[in-house]
Amino acid sequence: MAATSVYSSPGFDFSNQLRNNFLTEKGLPLPKATSTGTTIVGCLFEDGIILGADTRATEGPIVADKNCEKIHYITESIRCCGAGTAADTEFVTNFISSNMEMLALTHGRKPRVVTAMTMLKQYLFRYQGHVGAALVLGGVDATGPNLFTIHPHGSTDKLPYVTMGSGSLAAMAVFESGWKANMSREDALQLVKDAISAGIFNDLGSGSNVDACIITANHTEMLRNVEMPNQRVQKEKTYVFRRGTTAWKKENIRDLIVSEDVTPVGTEAMDTS
Amino acid sequence: MASADGGAYSYSLTVFSPSGKLVQIEHALAAVSQGTTSLGIKASNGIVIATEKKSPSILVDDSMLEKVAVVCPNIGIVYSGMGPDFRVLITKARKSAQAYWKMYGEYPPTRVLTQEVANVMQQATQSGGVRPYGVSLLVAGWDNHRGPTLYQVDPSGSFWAWKASAIGKNMVNAKTFLEKRYNDDISLEDAIHTALLTLKEGFEGQMTEKTIEIGVVTVPTPAELEAGHSGAATGRPKPTFRKLTEEEIRDYLAL
Amino acid sequence: MSIMEYNGGSVIAMVGKDCVAIASDLRLGNQALGISSNFQKIFPVTDRIYLGLPGLATDVTTLRELFRYRVNMYTIKEERDIEPETFAHLVSSTLYERRFGPFFIEPVMAGMSKTPSGGYKPFIAATDLIGCLNFAKDFVVAGTASSKLYGVAEGLWEPDLEPEDLFETISQTMLNAVDRDAYSGWGVIVHVMTKDKVITRTLKGRMD
Repeated sequence: MAATSVYSSPGFDFSNQLRNNFLTEKGLPLPKATSTGTTIVGCLFEDGIILGADTRATEGPIVADKNCEKIHYITESIRCCGAGTAADTEFVTNFISSNMEMLALTHGRKPRVVTAMTMLKQYLFRYQGHVGAALVLGGVDATGPNLFTIHPHGSTDKLPYVTMGSGSLAAMAVFESGWKANMSREDALQLVKDAISAGIFNDLGSGSNVDACIITANHTEMLRNVEMPNQRVQKEKTYVFRRGTTAWKKENIRDLIVSEDVTPVGTEAMDTS
Repeated sequence: MASADGGAYSYSLTVFSPSGKLVQIEHALAAVSQGTTSLGIKASNGIVIATEKKSPSILVDDSMLEKVAVVCPNIGIVYSGMGPDFRVLITKARKSAQAYWKMYGEYPPTRVLTQEVANVMQQATQSGGVRPYGVSLLVAGWDNHRGPTLYQVDPSGSFWAWKASAIGKNMVNAKTFLEKRYNDDISLEDAIHTALLTLKEGFEGQMTEKTIEIGVVTVPTPAELEAGHSGAATGRPKPTFRKLTEEEIRDYLAL
Repeated sequence: MSIMEYNGGSVIAMVGKDCVAIASDLRLGNQALGISSNFQKIFPVTDRIYLGLPGLATDVTTLRELFRYRVNMYTIKEERDIEPETFAHLVSSTLYERRFGPFFIEPVMAGMSKTPSGGYKPFIAATDLIGCLNFAKDFVVAGTASSKLYGVAEGLWEPDLEPEDLFETISQTMLNAVDRDAYSGWGVIVHVMTKDKVITRTLKGRMD
């Protein structure tokens, strides 16, 4: 198809593999990619599903992003929380979101959560766990509310309340002691906030703020930073340096505004007839 | 042997006739002009595209027919000519829009999408074993760069931007009608009414919400633009192209 | 040792009040041996986007050319300059294409993006080596001195710095962080971009 001439071809490019394998054999290990240690959860309540996530992204022991978004858009009424290799969760959810939109357009109706789940598990299974995405998929469709977890190798679970990521144990402890069937919206949201908070405070891979997403049959509410228990306090003093502190050797100023003067040559008006 | 039907130059391979014509493309255009009339009008605050939806028999379930297609949230296409060819092109257009989205994190501008579709159509005029697509398209969309734009694509793969245009069976009359009615500061509401009036000229049978289809491009307000720019909390920016529902069309027809 | 330390180098970008700044060191090394003290890692992409490519030097050149090609194709096809947000996505998808055979580069970009009302808004972003985007509101860092840069920047950065103050903050952050990184240093270059101009300054740094 013509489109592929300018956009890159679909699928991965392995042309650096030979070189990179050589370097690894020489004792130069691959650098770490950003991962989301993460606490992500989802639970059923009386009229839908609530998803929750923390907002910390890590690169080994370093906090790479203090307020990232882990609840990804699939369709208007389906969302997906991602844990694991950050780039993989981002791209795999984008890929499925794109497929779901195509599906919606060709069939003229809203695609189901199981469809997204099946596409995700088949994709992840094909890559045998090398695409490192651990997901909590939730949404409401024609069949009602649906909640799944999808593991990096492609196995799935369908449960009324689920947790994933390095903070999953802390969050599951909260769910196990507090979850009841047919909870009210307020109670369920509070439970999700508590579960994520348990991850934020007890798991090193999770931190910063709480994001939540409430999905019901006809409305999806994304609550970005619904809880911010780790806000930085205002610094007591400013650390602005006096201008001229830094010595520099060379300076070049590039003007981005193109100024032009128009000098009319000749007096005769242009023939515009 | 030069005859009225193109003679030796009228078979599957698209080759030049000695007079410099590609007869296959002219035949494709003839197929288009046998198709039902479609039209598009660019207004000051949006675009309307509309078409007549004719079924060969009253026994056909026409609620399943779709002639105005959504490509991506900001672009829609209507056609005149051969339905099956259109379906293939729409699938390609949608795939192209999604490929663009995956690369740049936004949907393609109307012009780029139009160019992609036009390329596909051009390729069919130069490849072996295929025939040109038997459709003309009207592509309407909104984007950040050029605002609302309306393009027409022909079987040859050529495309132009229009303020208003018509394709299909009644295109000559419809274009004359549009030329009389069009002005640069027409509003979207007026444009929809003009579109209906134009379709009415030479409409066979009763014009109802079942026998026409309408798609509109709306221009987002500055507030919506600002919200879309900063990444709205709900996920995606509001779509700028949508098809009118049967109820909405009925209301426009009643006026 | 990681392959990222093979040639050394670091980049940082910061947001100020209606301005952005991006800075890098100028060292190119062969492990512990210094090779060049004028190795550019920051490249202009459009008038209003600068891209920093710290990491393996061979990939710096390869990626610079690859992005030059893709941005030129975009400019020709779309008949307009690429916007910083769009460019960030292009960088991200280009790197993710090589998910299983990555380039050893962690790009950092800074620019001014057009707002719908016609003004300009500061924009910074960074990705990891396989293209995971990080749109920070304050600063982004990458390279061999990244752990040190995080610390210094976290202490020195504050919101709404004027261009001249942002220059001092980013310069001091860079200079002090690379002094504690053996693989970065040998001079620093800083670009400060406002809506109408780009000020580029080469700083005096330690040469050891």
